[in-house]
Amino acid sequence: MKAKLLVADDEKNLRELYKTELEDEGYEVATAANAVEVLKLLESGEYDVIVLDIKMPGMSGIDLLQKIMARDKHQPVILNTAYPSYRDNFMTWPAEAYVVKSADTTELKQAIRKVLAKRA
Amino acid sequence: MKPIFEKALTVIMAGGRGERLYPLTRDVAKPVVVFGGTYKIIDFTLSNCFNSGIRQIYLLTQYSNLTMTRHLRLAWDPLFRGELEEFLETLPPQHRSSEDWYHGTADSIFQNIEVLERHKPEWVILLSGDHVYKMDYSRLLEYHLDKGAELTIAAVEIERAQAREMGVMGVDAEMRVKTFVEKPADPPAIPGSPQRSLVSMGVYVFNTAKLVRELIRDARTEGSQRDFGRNIIPNLVSNGEPVFAYPFRDERHRQPAYWRDIGTLDSYYAANMDLVDPYPVINLYDTAWPIRTYFGQHPPARIVDSSIDLGLHGKVVDSLISSGCVISGALVERSVLSPEVRVHTGAQVSQSILMNGADVGRRARVHRALLCPGVMIPDGATVGLDPDADRERFIVTEQGVTVIPGGFEW
Repeated sequence: MKAKLLVADDEKNLRELYKTELEDEGYEVATAANAVEVLKLLESGEYDVIVLDIKMPGMSGIDLLQKIMARDKHQPVILNTAYPSYRDNFMTWPAEAYVVKSADTTELKQAIRKVLAKRA
Repeated sequence: MKPIFEKALTVIMAGGRGERLYPLTRDVAKPVVVFGGTYKIIDFTLSNCFNSGIRQIYLLTQYSNLTMTRHLRLAWDPLFRGELEEFLETLPPQHRSSEDWYHGTADSIFQNIEVLERHKPEWVILLSGDHVYKMDYSRLLEYHLDKGAELTIAAVEIERAQAREMGVMGVDAEMRVKTFVEKPADPPAIPGSPQRSLVSMGVYVFNTAKLVRELIRDARTEGSQRDFGRNIIPNLVSNGEPVFAYPFRDERHRQPAYWRDIGTLDSYYAANMDLVDPYPVINLYDTAWPIRTYFGQHPPARIVDSSIDLGLHGKVVDSLISSGCVISGALVERSVLSPEVRVHTGAQVSQSILMNGADVGRRARVHRALLCPGVMIPDGATVGLDPDADRERFIVTEQGVTVIPGGFEW
């Protein structure tokens, strides 16, 4: 069965890039533009991995991570951000992985594979 | 603040309900149960912090109430200066990383990771709000640094038989912790002292990064009780992390220092009775390490020979008598009296704890009893002399202490 991913990023182009590339990897991919959309999707569905951007309008990925953890501490989350500086923030440590964004999605794909392998 | 504490954050865990101290905790939160006549239990840990030179403290609580808020405001708030970035803050559950109340000691810290993030301390000093002892935490922190530890646990030697309710450690010659078992049925002894065990005082120094990682890991572990003693520490020890025990000793008397966990009515009673020993094992009169509290306004204690015609003399032996007490023509021995207690003509009070405003009527006898605030003993009544009769009306503990809850109607 295909693994289900949920990818949140406020940039439309990036969302489309991730969707295409991750679907090519064989995943089922849902996308969200902000925290509200993520929380709404979580009400009706379950995801094997959630990939969160940190800087999003409204609730940040860090606050959203906390909300997700409050619902389900076992939900794997990957933080995918342009800023390496949040790596030291304790609030990001519950994430399974911290990926610094680049045009190349190799690292993100690797992180997703690793998390899924750990779950299996 | 003492320089060594500049990169440290101190957190006092005072979130327990204190059910085993019922009825003392019926009307007040456990940290503010009266102890030693005029103090609250929490005053000992806070005094240790203050005397050690710690000026940034969070108090984690979830059963706070008016008494607690008022006590902290009156006794402690004036000692911390906001302008100097000093604080003593009470933190109830934030409901951010969890929808729940605190589940265990570790969970209470896990739910406050954002507080650790805000301060970004190198070390977290974790204390408990319900212990009676006098300890300089700067020595503990120095020891932690000297040992290069990830976690240092303050430890004290006690009788092996009493260690069943504690976290018991096995250490090597360097004091590195090799084993840790919480509440073992058969506590391991200290090598060479078959009747003694080394137990955790529930006083810890953690390297913050390690603490945070462990809390997150623990939060995801199914079946964990979210407890430092049951889960976090045993896991660190079995993973071979550098965990050290800090031997808490009385250097002057070359013996293990005084430390008591006030968890039950019997331990509460026993620790109060320690104070009335002719040579008390814990000294409240040491000006170098004062135990602070808020005393309130009371007239001086008064002991009178009010009934000379009856041949009854007011007499007090081996006792702590707080301000505002009046003992008239009555005998009080080996007892602890909180403020505004009255003991009337011909009464006899022995080996008892009388809390604020308790009143012992004429010719009444009170022995090995704990009277909650405001309890009135009628003229001629007896308490603590007939356990079976007491059990029908009051609480009698395992050790045979009669406890009369506040508001009891005779």
